[in-house]
Amino acid sequence: MNRSLSAGFKVVKVFDLIDTMRMRGIKVPIVLMTYFNPVLQAGVDRFCRELSEAGGDGMLVVDLPPEESSELDKAVSSNGLDVIRLVAPSTTDDRLDFLLSKSAGFVYVVSAAGTTGAKDKLPKSAERLLARVVSRSDVPALLGFGVSEPAHVRKALSMGASGVVEGSKLISIYAESLDDRTEALRRIEQHAAAMKSACMNARAR
Amino acid sequence: MSSRGYFGRFGGFYVPEILVTALNELEAGYERLRKDEEFKAQLNALLSTYAGRPTPLYECHRLTDVGGGARIFLKREDLAHTGSHKINNALGQALLAKHMGKGRVIAETGAGQHGVAAATACALLDLDCEVYMGEVDVHRQRLNCFRMELLGAKVNVVKSGSRTLKDAINEAMRDYASTSDHTHYLIGSVVGPHPYPVIVRDFQAVIGREAREQILAATGRLPDALVACVGGGSNSIGLFHPFVDDESVAMYGIEAGGNGIGSGKHSASVVAGTEGVLHGSRTLVLQDLDGQIAETHSVAAGLDYPAVGPEHAHLGKSGRVKYFAVTDAEALSAFRLLSETEGIIPALESAHALHFALALAKELGENRTVVINLSGRGDKDVAQVAEMEGVR
Repeated sequence: MNRSLSAGFKVVKVFDLIDTMRMRGIKVPIVLMTYFNPVLQAGVDRFCRELSEAGGDGMLVVDLPPEESSELDKAVSSNGLDVIRLVAPSTTDDRLDFLLSKSAGFVYVVSAAGTTGAKDKLPKSAERLLARVVSRSDVPALLGFGVSEPAHVRKALSMGASGVVEGSKLISIYAESLDDRTEALRRIEQHAAAMKSACMNARAR
Repeated sequence: MSSRGYFGRFGGFYVPEILVTALNELEAGYERLRKDEEFKAQLNALLSTYAGRPTPLYECHRLTDVGGGARIFLKREDLAHTGSHKINNALGQALLAKHMGKGRVIAETGAGQHGVAAATACALLDLDCEVYMGEVDVHRQRLNCFRMELLGAKVNVVKSGSRTLKDAINEAMRDYASTSDHTHYLIGSVVGPHPYPVIVRDFQAVIGREAREQILAATGRLPDALVACVGGGSNSIGLFHPFVDDESVAMYGIEAGGNGIGSGKHSASVVAGTEGVLHGSRTLVLQDLDGQIAETHSVAAGLDYPAVGPEHAHLGKSGRVKYFAVTDAEALSAFRLLSETEGIIPALESAHALHFALALAKELGENRTVVINLSGRGDKDVAQVAEMEGVR
């Protein structure tokens, strides 16, 4: 985050980026993952309106549990966006029902305790949580945290996930080729293609 | 489910889902134990036989003469074990951890005072202790690092971000997210998500309860004003809380003005901050228009934090407590003055409150009383001040 900020990134630039992606014909759903404070500073309703106008589809605010998100929920629904909720291995059954009842678009299933980052293999807690989610709700379950290899994708889908969320690995690939953007983008494309094809193949089965 | 832990519109529970269950359990555990007679008796025994409570309320005759007005009293938290008020909360939370069956405690520290208090409480109660401390602060406060290690704690040096207290809190929260089943996060100030601002306030309110009794015994009436420094705000909320309903008692929270508010190099979140969310609560934050957190500065490491406890944000907005900023230079002059007139070397943090209180005492005039919370002793700052003044 410090690297992007010192390179001059501003929150508003993300709307321009989405706008550009849409103009270039990219049609996949786009969800912004953020902390709440930048949204609050921009103005919750204004942020949602600009995201919607730029062509975004939803928001995932990592530090905003539903108990605190009434203001965001209102702005999101009046702007036709989805709020993505997270569930974690430590989430109790009652709370899981509550979170799933508030979910739209997809639900982000946190594979293990801890923060994002590339790891060797998927933890046991992921399998148990996915089973609990899938048995309760039809909202697509996407597994994240520690997902960084095609093998993880195959495993996640075999456990009932509808897809995966990946972040840290992409950033680390980019960080390895900071002086050569073309090379960085080429490697990211290669990695994304491998992950996507693992996902497609697993689904086709 | 409705939101909890609000003071007016500040506070709340702005945390990732991964922390929710742990914080709910902490809230339930605390609600149970705070009414538990055995728990209360254990804590009170530790506070009196181990931490040295009650701390004295001392009338500064010479300082009063210098001020030339109201009688000045110091609540001597500097005389508590480990040298500051931080021990009150550290003992309370470590005992809470013990009763909740957590064998491991983590803490963050800026100046090192809270880290030392946490390490001390954990040594006493036989708990494993790890303290997160920014690399910059480790260099500023080498001796406190060594103290923590002597006390059996492990110091984890934080090298992310600005490598100070804010980043130490981030790392401690990360640790807690993956270890909360066996670990208690012992937050050192009235910051963070609910229930921390309430827990820390309750454990620090012993300061105000004692001060209230002591000033009544000494003068037969309530004080006219209370003055305390505010970083995150635990010593000040501890003094203020038992007086909040006493309308005749004016309260002043003194923030770190650094090089002056206009310079942008300060840590005065109530005086100059805007509403935002940091470290789990909605409060007043030093930040830019994009919500990126500002770099802060204070000569006192314990005040060097870009936000403030949510209850202070509320007390400030409601007007019950008035907040002012005192600069580094002003605090340093009060640091010297108290040393010379009363033979007490104050913590640089507390020196901010002293400077403001002197002017206030003069303004109030004779036959009035001011109570200042002397939150910590200045031994930890002697080397820093000597270096600043070119002493070798």
